[in-house]
Amino acid sequence: MTVATEADPTCPSCGGHVTPGERFCEACGADLGEPAPAPPATPMVPAAATPPAAATPTGACRSCGGEVADDGYCTRCGTAAAKPRDHFTEQPAPWVAAVCDRGIRHHRNEDAVALAAAPPPAARAVLVVCDGVSTSTDSDVASLAAARAARDVLATSQPRGLGTAASSVAATAKALSNAVDAANDAVIANTAPGAGSPASCTFVAAVVDGPVLVVGWVGDSRAYWLPDAGGALLLTTDDSFAAEQIAAGIDRAVAENGPHAHAITRWLGTDAPDHTPRTVSVDLDTPGWVLVCSDGLWNYCSAPQDLAGLLGATMDTVGAQPLPLAAALVEWANAQGGRDNITVALARIDPTTTATAGPSADHREEVSPDGNVLS
Amino acid sequence: MATFSADVYQNEFLPDGGTDVHAIVTIVCSGAGAVGQTGAGDAAELVIVDTSGSMDGQNIVAARTAAAAALDQVNDGVWFAVIAGSHEAKLAYPYGRELGMVRMDPQTRAQAKAAVAGFQADGGTAMGTWLTLATRVLASVPSAVQRHAILLTDGINQHETPEQLTAAIEGARGHFQADCRGVGAAWQVAEVRRIATALLGTVDLIARPEDMAADFEGIMRQAMGRGVADAAIRVWAPQGSQVLFVRQVAPTVEDLTSRRQEVNPLTGAYPTGSWGDESRDYHVAVRLPAKVIGQEQLAARVQVAIGDEVLAQGLVKAMWSNDDTLTARIDPAVAHYTGQTELAEVIQDGLAAKAAGDTDTATAKLGRAVQLAAETGNEEATTRLRKIVEIEDADTGTVRLKRSVDKLDEMALDTASTKTTRVKK
Repeated sequence: MTVATEADPTCPSCGGHVTPGERFCEACGADLGEPAPAPPATPMVPAAATPPAAATPTGACRSCGGEVADDGYCTRCGTAAAKPRDHFTEQPAPWVAAVCDRGIRHHRNEDAVALAAAPPPAARAVLVVCDGVSTSTDSDVASLAAARAARDVLATSQPRGLGTAASSVAATAKALSNAVDAANDAVIANTAPGAGSPASCTFVAAVVDGPVLVVGWVGDSRAYWLPDAGGALLLTTDDSFAAEQIAAGIDRAVAENGPHAHAITRWLGTDAPDHTPRTVSVDLDTPGWVLVCSDGLWNYCSAPQDLAGLLGATMDTVGAQPLPLAAALVEWANAQGGRDNITVALARIDPTTTATAGPSADHREEVSPDGNVLS
Repeated sequence: MATFSADVYQNEFLPDGGTDVHAIVTIVCSGAGAVGQTGAGDAAELVIVDTSGSMDGQNIVAARTAAAAALDQVNDGVWFAVIAGSHEAKLAYPYGRELGMVRMDPQTRAQAKAAVAGFQADGGTAMGTWLTLATRVLASVPSAVQRHAILLTDGINQHETPEQLTAAIEGARGHFQADCRGVGAAWQVAEVRRIATALLGTVDLIARPEDMAADFEGIMRQAMGRGVADAAIRVWAPQGSQVLFVRQVAPTVEDLTSRRQEVNPLTGAYPTGSWGDESRDYHVAVRLPAKVIGQEQLAARVQVAIGDEVLAQGLVKAMWSNDDTLTARIDPAVAHYTGQTELAEVIQDGLAAKAAGDTDTATAKLGRAVQLAAETGNEEATTRLRKIVEIEDADTGTVRLKRSVDKLDEMALDTASTKTTRVKK
């Protein structure tokens, strides 16, 4: 959000500008504690932060129930108190929510998510997921700054082009390109000079605009369209060694479990050769779920039909509210081993309750930023 | 008011299934002030001098001068007394009282120096009686909370049994600290080390009687700069864990593990005696139940405490990782002091084997010592070892025992074995 408020809040740690409602400073990653008051009502509301009760570690150890000392560790079993950055949720509107989690085997949560949404169902939403590259320095700070920078660009800019469907999609694709520029700038701004391994992250953003979804990505974080009935779609194509192998005809399961499956070929950061997003659009003409995630989820459930099945089975247990659903999917990935950080962002699409205003696009077309329809 | 800091050096990453966490904790004390001046209580000093018959000649002359030099360093107002030790212990100063101490002032200083000037060498050696008298003399001044002694000997503890000495050491333990010195080549390093270790002090060799005065002066000056009467290292370790050991590793190696006093079921206190403005390093090892890859937990809180007040804390952490590049690295400080601790051990074991005529063991142990001294850059140890063994190859620890060795060189190697070099940080 770039909406100016009367008194611009600043980060207590680094003094940088912070957006009201955010839990971490974009510049330095400092925990901002209780969320600032929400900004004045605007068409697009950035995600309100996790309820404060969950944000501050309580006096009880999550492992043994003992008392947590001021040094951040349990006085009885020594377990580290939960760090807010390790697990957080966002829900800017009842129909849009995300859960971002450290997983089990990583020491830090280098995934990040940033959401914005307009309250009326399926009017407009922005879901951004960035996955920090774990071998690089400060990727946890950089990924969060990137996700928020991109979210803010996309929440502010709502281009419609000439009003035609193709023109509108192309305008959103251009906005996605700008958002990636902002995200890339944010990563670079959070890269220590001379860092041996500069901060870097992936990028995927889904923009729900009425009945149309436009997705842009760099790297191997993904967006799926999972309609309640009909074929589930993987909308993105990973910028990864595995994807190149799949393109060359190797079986998906084999490629995605190969030795270099996780090597990505494009990313954001000072050493990124090219960060132009690839974009794709799809009609949201039937009830379903837009799911944006990091590889912490899809590593355990890659094929769209499998993910749709998992989503359906999970809904049978926890219901169809996006936040509990996202939380349950994260929990499921942790139960599979939690080998990576896990982020799941969901938007519930229900055209029957949605205003039909807005342009419609042809079904799933790749678009280029200059508005030319590729397919 | 003294301030303490605690800095931890460790590799917190453990491999899958790893359980043992090692850390070096550097404790620095500053602003300690002068002894007895911090309001915590009075200070008391004892000078205990061997006046047995073997001291006759140069040694007793040097001891008179050295005791006087030590007395010159004692601050005015500090309680003090002088004990003359042989097969029995006598209170040489203050005069005319069965048990007691006086405060230092110009007059008592002059009287005490006159008393030590009259020392005569006569009788045998029973150090246990010296310690017992010292304990009783110090107990006569309850206001003196910080108690320290210099103990000088020149011979073997012949006139009492080892058991009697042990009983006297146990009676003195916790009542005062003692820096012990042996003059000449006729005393036993191990015997005197036993006293010094129990009484939280140092042991050293005074090879030449003429060096004694400077040494005593130095010890006493250092004692006067120890404004912190009594600090303890506290180690908290989580439920279900085991503290493998707690060692001081610099400036000297001293295993504190058996000194543990329980503060609560998870916390032990290890007395470290008095502190001046100085830095000491501790090696703490804790065994934890292994956790899942990615989990983080605290392995130990290492604290400095005076009484019940915790003045500094260092955190020793554990993180389980499947990244070999993280888990394989041994912290340089831990590696350095692990080597220095083994160095002290193999020097003492090697010299003991040599004394027992076990040439093979002595050669192997001292060879290993040469290797470790080279690896850890302890050049002083290398120089001392060179006087005992011919070094053929320091890298492999190949040595030959020298045919004729000066006993004093052996004792110098032994007493200095626990002195460590600091790790280059």
